[in-house]
Amino acid sequence: MPRPDSPTADSPNAPRTIDRREALRRAALMLGGVISAPVIAGVLAGCQGRRHSGALSSEQLELVATIADHILPETDTPGARAVGVHQFVDAMLAEGYAGPDRARFIAGLADVDARARAACGRPFLECAREQQRTVLDHLDRETFARPARSAPPFFRTFKELTLVGYYTSEVGATRELRHAPVPGRYDGCVPLAQIGRTWAV
Amino acid sequence: MIVKDEPYDAIVVGSGITGGWAAKELTEKGLRTLVVERGRHVEHGAGYVTESLQPWQLPHRGQGEPALYERDYPIQSKNYAFSEATRHFFVNDREHPYVTPDAKPFRWIRGYQLGGRSLIWGRASWRWSDLDFEANLRDGYGVDWPIRYADLAPWYAHVERFVGVSGERLGLPHLPDGEFLPPWEMNCAERAVQRGIERAFRGRHMTITRVANLTRPHLGRGPCQARNQCARGCSFSGYFSSLSATLPAARLTGRLTVVTDAIVHSVIYDEQRDRAVGVCVIDAKTKATREYFGRIIFLCASTLATAQILLNSQSARFPTGLANSSGEVGHNVMDHISKAGARGTVPGLEDKYVYGRRPTGTYIPRFRNLGRPGEAKVGFLRGYGIQAGASREGWARGADEPGLGVALKERLREPGPWQISLQGYGECLPRHENYVDLDPTRTDQWGIPLLRVNCAWGENERAVREDVKTQAAEMLEAAGCTSVETWDDDGPPGFSVHEMGTARMGKDPKTSVLNSHNQAHDVPNLFVTDGACMASTSCVNPSLTYMALTVRAVDHAVSELQRRNL
Repeated sequence: MPRPDSPTADSPNAPRTIDRREALRRAALMLGGVISAPVIAGVLAGCQGRRHSGALSSEQLELVATIADHILPETDTPGARAVGVHQFVDAMLAEGYAGPDRARFIAGLADVDARARAACGRPFLECAREQQRTVLDHLDRETFARPARSAPPFFRTFKELTLVGYYTSEVGATRELRHAPVPGRYDGCVPLAQIGRTWAV
Repeated sequence: MIVKDEPYDAIVVGSGITGGWAAKELTEKGLRTLVVERGRHVEHGAGYVTESLQPWQLPHRGQGEPALYERDYPIQSKNYAFSEATRHFFVNDREHPYVTPDAKPFRWIRGYQLGGRSLIWGRASWRWSDLDFEANLRDGYGVDWPIRYADLAPWYAHVERFVGVSGERLGLPHLPDGEFLPPWEMNCAERAVQRGIERAFRGRHMTITRVANLTRPHLGRGPCQARNQCARGCSFSGYFSSLSATLPAARLTGRLTVVTDAIVHSVIYDEQRDRAVGVCVIDAKTKATREYFGRIIFLCASTLATAQILLNSQSARFPTGLANSSGEVGHNVMDHISKAGARGTVPGLEDKYVYGRRPTGTYIPRFRNLGRPGEAKVGFLRGYGIQAGASREGWARGADEPGLGVALKERLREPGPWQISLQGYGECLPRHENYVDLDPTRTDQWGIPLLRVNCAWGENERAVREDVKTQAAEMLEAAGCTSVETWDDDGPPGFSVHEMGTARMGKDPKTSVLNSHNQAHDVPNLFVTDGACMASTSCVNPSLTYMALTVRAVDHAVSELQRRNL
């Protein structure tokens, strides 16, 4: 569970509602524990976005987009697919993680397909939406029913990457949640109703 | 090729929090001053390249690249302020190696750029008291400080007036009040815990951290915009750094020269004159060597780097390093213990939230070994303070719980419960056996011998750590928190980025390196005012004390120069 002590804030004891760096540190562990192989040349310091070749095939990308959209679907705001969560997941797999961790994630995707075949006799993407949801509900319950293991389960990783990808997107931060890039002041005790939603940052 | 520059009145090595202050004070007192910085130039404002980027504008949404960090930033990336948005203000560990024994890790956090670590510091600003300055004398560890609080109090005030420290006056003798801007506000959960702790434990307090973030405009700077992303740099000058405050003041005098990408290899000592006369510098980019000459020299390169420079400045008179007739240069390395405490849930207050991102937390001042009648006997020397902060859980909690779909999305729209975490910062005893020295064979890419760090926690630090956890948990329980648990991340030395002690002050030239004015016993025109000078650590964050010692040392140096004593 993210904790206010986790080392992301700019001050060692500054409370933070969320904790994305710690989240990804744990995601790294989930993706296979020790990260060993050098993956990429560093991105330029700063803000230069970069095209990447990606780690996933177009079918795998579609699978990720579909699962992510089950986790965070469209409501009165767009869902995970619409904000491109699958592209974020693809980029993180390609640029952030070593080969074995990537392979573990892709094996997890294959397992989703295997579960779909067992449940509805077809690959996940060809199952009906309700059947897909049933497969994922099972996987979700299994994942969180088990005590923590040394390597966190695939679906937990998946969920975490989906949440990060969604809530750090512009839509996620500014429409689904509340975002104030330059608050200008600090009020330590205001009615929740006045803010309305979870702070994005 | 050796290029000789004209002599300066003063040379300052390093542009971090003490180098910036030395430059300001020296130039304002009329000295033509050269600041030598080993890192690159950073322009205040324009150099803060990630400052205005929102999460979706960062290459990996701020998540960074774990594999890259493992390869190039295995030490720096452990620091709380390191992120995708701040990586350019931390060194690449692979390019800047140092040596530690396998069993004694040391995390040396560094920022090689103009402004140094003043760009990425935690900004907590506390005065020391005589409980701290008398600690070595009282229990016999280390050497007695050659100064007391009264010697430093006016200089603390001098520094606070310029920095702009926000805080609350408490009237505690062991945590003296300063000259404060209005404090930041505690949030509802912190106030509830504060009431609980102060009701249950007589003599314990919780206050807002005294911090160098401007709660109102101050000398043309600020105010702080409550973004809590200081380590990216702040073009509002909302927090104090060399770039926002001291170097601009020095530049205004017209007497400041700054060179960047200039690595000080050693201090040049002239045996005939028995004085330090300049510095030998290696260009970080071309690796060419050059020299700069000056009448007085201030080493403000940071605790370990200053020791490295002194140890590498060898001569017939000082074969084991400049100003090292005591043999204490490099010894008595200290850091604060941290990364241990307790956390819990603050019940209720579900209808309350915060606006803005306060750039600091709260603080429980030291309550152990204050010398008060009837206080609890504990199995360790000295004490600790506790940094704390409460916040409501955000969307990230969703990855730790079952559930998906519309229900999950709706749930995460609302913040989760209030969580509070307490983290102790404890005093470390000065011990000769914790030391740095130079590797006899290996050098960095500029030919400078690698620093070897040999430093480990001792019994007292371990005992402090245990008490931190127990007391933190007891206080949270007494304050009505639920799900209280202790935590301990077992941080090795260096983790607190409060390393100190490698050229300690003292009364006796046989057992210390610097006198009461931060002047080398052996070399009167050589001053060390960074953390190297510290004879003990107190338990409070040290930067404000480094700053006060620096301005006091400059005052002394300039008056000695005028009296022709240097």
